[in-house]
Formats: sequence, structure tokens, C-alpha cells
Amino acid sequence: MASPHAEGRPGKEIGGAIPRFSWKSSLVILVVLGATGWSVVGTGFNLLELLTSGDPVGRFLSGMFPPDLSGAALQATGTGIMETFQMSLLGAIIGSIVAFPLAALGTRQNVLVGSSRTYRALLSIPYHLSRFLTNVFRSVPDILWALIFVVALGLGPFPGTLALAVHSAGVLGKLYGETLEAVPSRPVNALHSTGASGLGLFLFGRLPQAMSGFTSLTLYMWESNIRSATILGFVGAGGIGQQILVSMQLFNYSRLATLVAATVVLVLLVDRLSAAIRKRLVN
Amino acid sequence: MPDEGNKPVRGFALEGVTVRFGRVEALKDLNLSVEPGEQAAVIGASGAGKSTLFNVLTRNVPLAAGRVTVGGRDLFAMPARELKAVRRQVGLVHQAYNLIPQLSVGMNAALGEIGSMSNLRLIKTLLLGPDAGLTARVSGALDRLGLGEQIRTRTADVSGGQQQRAAVARLLVQSPGLVLADEPFAAVDPVTTDRVIETLAELNREGATLLINLHDVEVARRFPRVVALREGGVVFDGPPEQLTEERLGEIYAGETPGSVERGPEDPEVSGGVTPRKQDPARRLEGRDGLPAR
Repeated sequence: MASPHAEGRPGKEIGGAIPRFSWKSSLVILVVLGATGWSVVGTGFNLLELLTSGDPVGRFLSGMFPPDLSGAALQATGTGIMETFQMSLLGAIIGSIVAFPLAALGTRQNVLVGSSRTYRALLSIPYHLSRFLTNVFRSVPDILWALIFVVALGLGPFPGTLALAVHSAGVLGKLYGETLEAVPSRPVNALHSTGASGLGLFLFGRLPQAMSGFTSLTLYMWESNIRSATILGFVGAGGIGQQILVSMQLFNYSRLATLVAATVVLVLLVDRLSAAIRKRLVN
Repeated sequence: MPDEGNKPVRGFALEGVTVRFGRVEALKDLNLSVEPGEQAAVIGASGAGKSTLFNVLTRNVPLAAGRVTVGGRDLFAMPARELKAVRRQVGLVHQAYNLIPQLSVGMNAALGEIGSMSNLRLIKTLLLGPDAGLTARVSGALDRLGLGEQIRTRTADVSGGQQQRAAVARLLVQSPGLVLADEPFAAVDPVTTDRVIETLAELNREGATLLINLHDVEVARRFPRVVALREGGVVFDGPPEQLTEERLGEIYAGETPGSVERGPEDPEVSGGVTPRKQDPARRLEGRDGLPAR
């Protein structure tokens, strides 16, 4: 029912769901367009080139068919796939073992009301230390860690696994810590109010509530590691990536096709498996 | 059992206590003293400061002014170690149970002892479960509350009423000198209410002081002492007979007396089941068919 007040005014149209014209929105659009053009020029982005250079692309694609299914190719693929799987699994497991104490220390403590400044500052030292470590582990990408470990330890899956472990420790350390901090706090505070120590609060208050989250995050890390592990070979850190690189350099495109297809299957399988386990955990 | 050097904590006194949250004064120059072994019900409209009063007694909020003594000692001046010793003797029951849902009912009850566990014992308990002595006390407490069968059941898998009884079992295991019960009957069925009242009565007979927040004035009337808060101060403190309708009108100005402040969150109590038909005070005095100790 229209009120007399509204009737007195000329009816305002509601308009569509697209924002109305304003100087601010026009400016935003101009800036986005400008940045896009600048990036196109900067990267030499040219789809025409992709279409007109049909010859090398066609040669590459036709070279991939039929895929090389010879015994040697299948053996190389199998070894690579297995190595990649092992690297990703071990990386996630070691990462989670290292991440656990880092997250435990990097969780904000229940502080007593009325405790001194010095006490609070002392309490925050391990917190900041572990946060710093997880940040370093996490912010260096795994492929950079792999380069570092390859230089230090030589070629092979061992430096690759270490790289995944260090990066996973950083990522999981942060995510575990966030999970621990996000658990419902009232039961934890109730234990605190009956005199529980910091360790008691952690073991019986936060940890049981965070455990299923930890498992789910670790599985996700494994999924993510299997994708990373496929390219660590490009810097000599083992796995199927190393085989892919060699096939590329030898222009052995039919073997490359087998390797790439196997990689896709592996990644999909692990994704499915991990998702299925995580779904069961939630229910 | 409390450590050596721990004097029993039972009575408490608040002198001129003010608590501020930002610009809001939750408690204003509040004076209240409760003697060891006493039972007192606290009533008041929502926002009157009832929960803040409880948070002050566990030193969970800072004081803007005033002094709180628990067991004769200044609660806010004591060092962390002493505070822990005091907290071990303060038992809490909440409307929201505050159990760890992933742990078994038995483990939650065993956590009543968590305040007195050394780090080594904490780890042992985590890996191997409670030791024989604690296990015996836990199963005794659960049996008393009719939860003996559920000792190994995940807490999340039992009903709300059973969770509240598990919380009371935890209280029994803790065996505190001062019991703070914050709306313990707000979200539970009558059977659980009965059990909770019986258990609180037993603890009281064993010497524990009992302070209980209630939204139901009729239940509060059955306690020998009623304390009413309004706008952060005590506006009534005396026997329930002196609690006239007129007084209640002042206490609950702007609200219906006895109305449920927080609507029942538990589907079990839809319809606002409140323990009107029971007589907690008489039960607390042990005259109502309770087994004599």
C-alpha cells in the first residue's frame, strides 16, 4: 500500500541489477581496461600468433599421437608416477609432523586476566617465533625450495621430497594454527576456569576439537603436493616431471603424451580418493 | 584432592566491584558476600550483570574498581599459581554444558580433575586414559547421574539432557568448594533438572557453597537467600518471603518477571519446561526423600 508521502513524489525506478552509471564506476572500468592493455603489450600476448604458427603446434600435437605405449615408455611412466606419488605422500606426512608443534606454539594462549606485561611478553615469544618460521616455510614456493635442495644435495627425488615437506610444514603450520584458534572457545574457557594448565587446555580442550580439521587439511595438502610433485622434476628434483622434461628435450612427443596422460590420471585419482576420505570424515 | 597449602575456597566477598565493557558498566559498585556453605539464588533481567558476576568470581574479566576476596584472599592480586589453586576449587555448571563434544562422556567427566594434573599425568591421561583411581571416581559420578552406560560414548552423540548430566558428573569429579551454576536448568528436561538439583544438594551438604543464576523467579524463591541484580548493582538481598510483587516489578521493570531471557535453545525443552513443580530448596535441605548421608 502506497503511503500518501510516496504518492506525492515522482516514482523512482528501481532499475536493473547492474550498477548505475557513476563517475566512480566509470573510472574503475577505465583503470581495469588500461591495466589489461598494458599487460597485453607487456607479455606480447597474441592469439593470432598461436593460430598462424600452425606448423610447430601441429607438429607437436601430431607427434603426440599415437602415444608411446612401448614397454620402455610404460616402465619410465610407471617409475615416474610411483616416485611422484611417494614424494607427495612423504612430503605431506613429514610436513604435518613438523607443522604440528609449530601450530601448537603458534596458537594464542588463554591469558590470565590481570597477569603482568612481562608475563604476557614472555608468553608471546614462542608464538612469534613459530609464526615467523611457518611464514618463511610457506612464502617460499616449493619449486624454489626444490632448487635450493637440488643445489645442496644433488639431483633426485630426495631434495624434491624435502622441498615438499618444508613447504607443506609452512602451509599446514598456518592452517593447523588457524584451526586450533577457531575451535569453539567456551568449552576451552570452562576448563581454563577450573585451573587447567596451558598444556591441559591444548591437549583436552583445543586438540580434540581440531583433530578432524587437521586430517582434512593434511589430505588436502597431499592433493596439492601431488600437483606440485609433477613439476618439481623440471628443476631436477625427481618425479614424473623429470621424465617429462627429458622427453620434451628429446622431442619424443609420443612418450610425452603417455607421461602427461598418466599424470592427469594420477592427479584425478588422488583428488577423488582424498575428497572421498574427507567427505567421510565430515559425516 | 587439593594440593598441600591449599586452604579450602568456599565463601567469597565483593566490595565496591565495578566492571566496564567499553563505556558500558556491567557491574556498578557491587557489594555482596556469601558465607561458606550458603546457598544463594541470583535473579535479574537480562543485562543486569548476572553472568558478569560469575565471570568476576572466576577472574575472567578485569575489574575497573573494587576488591574480590575468595576464601579470604584477594582474587585479583594473587599470582597465577595461587589463582590456579583457587580455580581448582571452583566448579562451574553452564546452560551450554561446555563439554568437549569429540571426547567420550567419561573423559569429559574426568576433566573435572584437569586442574590438578601435572604435565606428565596429562600426557598419560591423553594416551592411556584416566588412571584407576580417577576412573573409579568417574564411573561412580556417572552412575550417580544415571550415565554409567554412556561412559565410552562420544559426548556429541548423547542428548542435551545427558550432556548436562555429564557436566554435573565433571563437577562431582572436581569436588569443588564453591559451585557457580549459571542457568543450569534453562535447556534441560525435568528428569535432568531433578538429577542436577539432587547433585548440587549433595555437594552443598558436603560443605560446598552454592551460587546459582536463575531466570525463573519461582525456582529462585525456593532458595533460602535471593539476590537480585539490576543495572549492575544489588537491588534486593534477603529471604524470598520479602520478595514482594512490588519488588519484583522494580527488579524486572520493562520485562515480565520469570520470563525466559534466552529462549530455550534445546528442542527438548520447547514449550519452556521449567522446574516449577519441583522444590529445589526443600530438596537442597535434604528433606524431600533424598537418601540421607
